[in-house]
Amino acid sequence: MNVTVGQMHEGSRTVPSGLREPPAVELRGIVKTFGGFVALDSVDFELRRGEIHALLGENGAGKSSLMNIVAGIYTPDRGEITVSGRPTVISGPADARRLRIGMVHQHYKLVKPFSGIENIVLANPGRSYRDSMSRILSLAEEAARKIGFDVDLTRPVETLSIPEQQRIEILKTLVAGASIIILDEPTAVLTDEEGSRLFAAMRRLAEEGNSVVLVTHKLHEALEHADRITVMRAGRVVRTVLPGEVTHTELTTMIVGSNVVELPERSSRIGRAVLKVRSASRRNHDGLDVLRDLSFDVRTGEIYGLAGIGGNGQGELVEALTGLVPLSSGNVYIEGGGDVTNQPPHRMRAVGVGCIPADRHSLAMAGDLPIGDNYSIGGVLAGRFGSAFKVNRRQIRSVTRAAVKRFEVMGVRSERQKAALLSGGNAQKLVIAREFSADLRIIIAHSPSRGLDVRAAAAVHEHLRHARDNGVGVILISEDLDEILLLADRIGVMNRGRIVAEFEAPGDRHAIGKAMIGHA
Amino acid sequence: MDFLINWLANIPSFATPFALAALGLIICEKSGILNLGAEGYMLISAMAGAGAMLTFGQHPFLALAVAALAAAALSLIFGFLVIVLRVNQVISGLTIIFFAQGTSQLISTIQGWTNESFTGLGTMRFGPLSDIPAIGKIVFQQDLIVYLAIALFFVTNWVLNSTNIGLRLRSVGENPEAADAAGVSIGLYRFGAVIAGGLLMGLAGGYLSVVVSKIWVDGMSGGRGWIAIALVIFARWRPFVALGGAVLFGCIEALIPRMAASGWELPQYFVLMLPYAVTLAVMVWTSLSGRAGSGQPGALGQPFVREERR
Amino acid sequence: MLDTVDIPRSRARRGLIDRFNLEIREHMPLEQQLLVVIGGVVVGLAISSLLLVAAGVSLPDVYDEFVVEIFTNPRNISSVLDYASPLVVVGLSAAMAFKARFWNIGIEGQLIFGGIGATVVANYDIGPPFLRLALMAVFAILFGMAWMALPLFLKLKLQINEIISTLLMNYIAFDFLLHLLYGPWKDPASGFPNSKLYDGFEQLPMLGWQDLNLAAVFALVLVAGFAWLLGVSRFGFLLRFVHSNPRMARAMGVRIGVFTLVAALASAGLAGFGGFVISAGIAGRLTQSFFVGYGFSGILIGFLARNNPVGVVLFSLLISILMVAGQSLQVFYQIPFAMVQLMQAIIVICVAASEFFIRHRLRFVA
Repeated sequence: MNVTVGQMHEGSRTVPSGLREPPAVELRGIVKTFGGFVALDSVDFELRRGEIHALLGENGAGKSSLMNIVAGIYTPDRGEITVSGRPTVISGPADARRLRIGMVHQHYKLVKPFSGIENIVLANPGRSYRDSMSRILSLAEEAARKIGFDVDLTRPVETLSIPEQQRIEILKTLVAGASIIILDEPTAVLTDEEGSRLFAAMRRLAEEGNSVVLVTHKLHEALEHADRITVMRAGRVVRTVLPGEVTHTELTTMIVGSNVVELPERSSRIGRAVLKVRSASRRNHDGLDVLRDLSFDVRTGEIYGLAGIGGNGQGELVEALTGLVPLSSGNVYIEGGGDVTNQPPHRMRAVGVGCIPADRHSLAMAGDLPIGDNYSIGGVLAGRFGSAFKVNRRQIRSVTRAAVKRFEVMGVRSERQKAALLSGGNAQKLVIAREFSADLRIIIAHSPSRGLDVRAAAAVHEHLRHARDNGVGVILISEDLDEILLLADRIGVMNRGRIVAEFEAPGDRHAIGKAMIGHA
Repeated sequence: MDFLINWLANIPSFATPFALAALGLIICEKSGILNLGAEGYMLISAMAGAGAMLTFGQHPFLALAVAALAAAALSLIFGFLVIVLRVNQVISGLTIIFFAQGTSQLISTIQGWTNESFTGLGTMRFGPLSDIPAIGKIVFQQDLIVYLAIALFFVTNWVLNSTNIGLRLRSVGENPEAADAAGVSIGLYRFGAVIAGGLLMGLAGGYLSVVVSKIWVDGMSGGRGWIAIALVIFARWRPFVALGGAVLFGCIEALIPRMAASGWELPQYFVLMLPYAVTLAVMVWTSLSGRAGSGQPGALGQPFVREERR
Repeated sequence: MLDTVDIPRSRARRGLIDRFNLEIREHMPLEQQLLVVIGGVVVGLAISSLLLVAAGVSLPDVYDEFVVEIFTNPRNISSVLDYASPLVVVGLSAAMAFKARFWNIGIEGQLIFGGIGATVVANYDIGPPFLRLALMAVFAILFGMAWMALPLFLKLKLQINEIISTLLMNYIAFDFLLHLLYGPWKDPASGFPNSKLYDGFEQLPMLGWQDLNLAAVFALVLVAGFAWLLGVSRFGFLLRFVHSNPRMARAMGVRIGVFTLVAALASAGLAGFGGFVISAGIAGRLTQSFFVGYGFSGILIGFLARNNPVGVVLFSLLISILMVAGQSLQVFYQIPFAMVQLMQAIIVICVAASEFFIRHRLRFVA
C-alpha cells in the first residue's frame, strides 16, 4: 500500500477542489515547552482547504497544545505559521479570530451564568449591545439551521446539557466567520447519535470549503470521518496518512509506538461482599439528582468496573464513598465497619477505604510539599512515624525510598523534592504506592490511567490486579471502555446517577455501550 | 416629630459615602479583582479633599475631584500589583490600607491640615418643591452629590447589564479564560474596573471630609470602607440592594448624633460600636437565609495567566 | 458569513511586546527565592531613603540614623530589641493563623483584649504579688482567645469570611477599650484616659542591660516553641498539608475544622499575650493607643516572613529598627512618625512585587 505524505491521491472521499491553492494553515518546526517539559518537538502540520483533518494520538501527545497555538492561546517557542500562504504571527485569540480561526475546546470556554446568545455576542461584538443582540441572534439561528443544530440560545448556559453547550461553542466560531474550525475531542461527552449529527455537520462545513481539524484519540472516528489523518506521539508527528490506506492495527502501532499488549487476567479468588451500597441518592444544591437510588456490591478479590460516560455521577459516587460529601439518602456498608453512611473521610480511611482520585493534583498531592511527606501522610495520621511530639523524619525517608524503588517512581532525586515536579505517570505511581501502604479493604481507582502513556498505564493496571489478588476489593471507574474490559471481573454501567446494568466478564461490548448511552 | 424629620433628612448624607464606596467595589469586583483596600482609598481621598479645600480655597467640587483623583492614583498602584504582577489580592489590599494610612497621616501632618475645619457643600433647592413640609426637607433639600450618587447607580446598573462593555466586564470576572478566548483584553478591563472603583471610592472619601464632617482628622474613614466591603457581599453584588444597605447604615449613623443632641443618655462608646455590630449581624443573617446563587463573580480573587497549563 | 475568500492582512513579524511570554514557573530553589526577597527589601529601603531625602534628610544622615546609630549605640540596640519582642509575638500570631489558611486580621482587637485581661488582674489585685505577672499573662491569653471565639464560630459553622468578621471585632474592641478608659478604669490620679499605673511587680522585670526587659526572652522562647510545633511535631506536619492543599488534606482524613480551630485560637492567644507584653513591658499601663500599629505590622511581618519563625524574627528586627530610627528622625528632623508606617508599606509592596519573579517566568521568544 502506498502511504506517502503529500501525494495527491484519490481517497475514498471526494477530493476537495482547490488543492492547488495554498494550504489553509501550515505549521513548520513548532517547538513548545512548559517549564522543563517539551510538549511539542519540532512539529510540521498542514491543513488544506475543504478537508476534515484528524489529529490523532493519545492523551499527552501534544495535539491540544498544537491546536492551542493555532488558536492563539499558546505562543510557540520556535517555528513558523503560515495562513493561506502568508507567514503570520498569532499572538492571541484576537489574532486568531481575525484570521478566521475558531476553536471549540475540550473544556468549553463559556461564561456559565450568561445565556447562549450572550456568550456568542461576547465573542462577536457588534456596534451596540442591542444591535448585537438582534443581529447576532439571527445570524446564529441561521447558522444553526444550516448545520442542523437545535438549541435554546436564551437560557443560561449552566442550565444546558453538555451537548447543547458544545453547540453554542460551535455557533460562536461560525458566527465569527471562522473558516478554519478546530474541534478538540468533541465526542468525549456525546452519545453515538449526537456524535453522528456532529460529524454530518462537519462534513457539510467542509463541503462549503471550510477546513476542519478533528482532534481525537478515537481511531474509528478518524478512520470513518476524516479525509486525512496525522498521528502524533510524545510531541512529534509520526506520519500523515489517508484513511483508506492504513489498517486499524497499523494506526494503533503509530499511536502507541510499541507493542505493549495487555491481556485480561480474571480473578481466581472472589469472596464475599466487602462493600454494599444501597439506594444511594444525592441531590445537589442546584436541585439536580446526581445520584439516584444507586445500589451495587463489591466483593473481596474482584475488580468491579464502573463504565459510563463522564458526568453521570461517577465523581459524586467517589465523594460519597470517601466521605467527602454526604448522601441525601441511602446507605453504605463496609465489612468490618458496619454502616458507614456519611462518615467523614478519616473514618472511611480507618475502615480501609483508599482512593486514587481522578484529579490527581488537587485531591491526591500537595505539590509544594516533599515527596516523602506526601507519601507518609497516611501513616502519620494513623500514628506511625514517630510520636505526636516528634515526627521521625529518618524513618519517613527510608520508607519512602523503599516505596519509590518498589513502585518504580522515576525522577526522584531525593525524598525532599517537591511533589509537583513529578511527571503525571510518576505522580500517579506515588499515589498508588501511598494508598497501597495502608491496610485496605476497598480501593477506588477513578480514571487511574488518564493522561498516562501506555507503559505507565500498564504498570498501574498491574498494581490494581496485585491488590485484587491480595483480597482487596477494587472499584475501577473509567470512561475508557477498553480499560474496563481489560481489567474488570464484573462490570456495572452508570447512567444518570444510577447503575442501569451489570455484566459478568467478559462483557458484551455492544450491550455495555447501549446501556451507557440509553436513557436511564 | 421634628426629631424624625431631621433624622430622615440627614440619612442621605450619611448613606452616600457607603453607597458610593459600595458601587465602586461592585464595579471592581465584577471584573474579578478582590479589593480589600477600600478603607485606604477613602482615607487618602478624605485627606486629599480636605487638603484641596484648605489649599485652593473653598471650592467643594474641585476638592471632590481632587479626592477622587487621589484615590484613582492609589488604585493605579493596586492595579499594577494585582493585575500585572499578579500578587495575592488580599495582601495587596491590606498593604494599600497601610500605605494610605501612613501617607495620609504624613502629608496632613506636614501640611498642617489636621483639625482645620472649612465650610462644606450647600444643599440644593428645587424651588417650591423644597418647601413642602416634611417631604420637602427630606427629598428635595440634599446636596448635589446625593442626587449624583443615585444617578450613578442607575447608570452603572445600565452599563453593567445592557451594554457590550458591561457584558465583557462581567465575563472577565466570571470566567477569564472564556473572555480571553473571546478576544476580550483581560488586563484592560480589570485595570479599567480598578480605576473606576478607585474614583468612586475616592468620591466617597472626599464626601466624608468635604461635605459631612467638613474637617480632616487622622483615620476619619473609621471602618466605613470595611463596612462597604461587607455591604457588597451581602448585597450579592447587586447595585440596588447595596444601595439599600447603604441607606440602612445611613440610618444608623444619622441616629448617633441625633440621640446625643436630644439628650438621650447612652453609653457613648457602645453606640459607636453599633455600625460594626450591625454589619456582623447582617452577615450572619444573610448566611443563614439560604446560600443558593451567591452571585459572587466566578473568578473573584484569582489572577489570570494565559499560559497556565494543567 | 462562511466565506472563505481572503485572509485579512496580518503581521508577519512579532512585535517587541509580544516577544515576551508570561508563564507560571514550576519551581525556584530556596536560595534563589531568598535572594529575590532580599532584593525586594533592598529596593524598598532604597525607595524609602529617597523619600526621606525628599523630606529633607540628607543621605549621609539617613545612613547615620539607620545604620550607625542603631548598631553602635547600646541604648538604641536595647530599644530595638524591646520593640522587636512584641512584634515577634504578633508576627508569630499572624503566621500561626495563616499556616492554617485562616486570615486573622483581628490581631489588633485580640491584642487590645489581651491588654484588658492583664489590666483586670492588675486593677483588681487578683492573686498574690509573686504570681501576679503570671496571672496577667494567663488572663491576657484567655481574653485574646475569647475575642476570637465569635469569628471562629461564624467561620466554622456558617462559612462566614473571617477577614471581615475579625476586622469588625477590631473596631468593637477599640470602642470597648475607650469605654473602659474613659469610664470605670480612668486613672483617678491624673484624670487622663489611661488605667492607673501597674505596680512594680506587675511590670515586666528588666534584664539588667540597658532597658532590655523580659519580653525578649519570651519572644525567643515563643520562636523556639513555634519552630518546634511547626517543624517537628505531628501537628505541624499535618498543618503544612492544610496550608498547601486543604482539599487533599481533608480527603486524606485530616480534620480541617480541628486544625483551623487550634491554629486560630493559638493565634489569638499569642495576640493576647502580645497585648500583655506591650502593656506590662513598654507602657506600664493600659492606654488608648498602646496597641497602635502592632496589629497590621504583625500581619505584614507574617506575610513577609512566609510564616517562617526565623523570618518573623528577622523582619521584626527590621521593622523595629525602622521604628527606633523613626523616633529619632521625629525628634531631630521633624519627620512625622507616620513616615515609618509608610516605609513599612513600601517595603511590603516591593517584596510582594518581587515575588512575581518567584512565581512567574518571562520567556523571550524569537
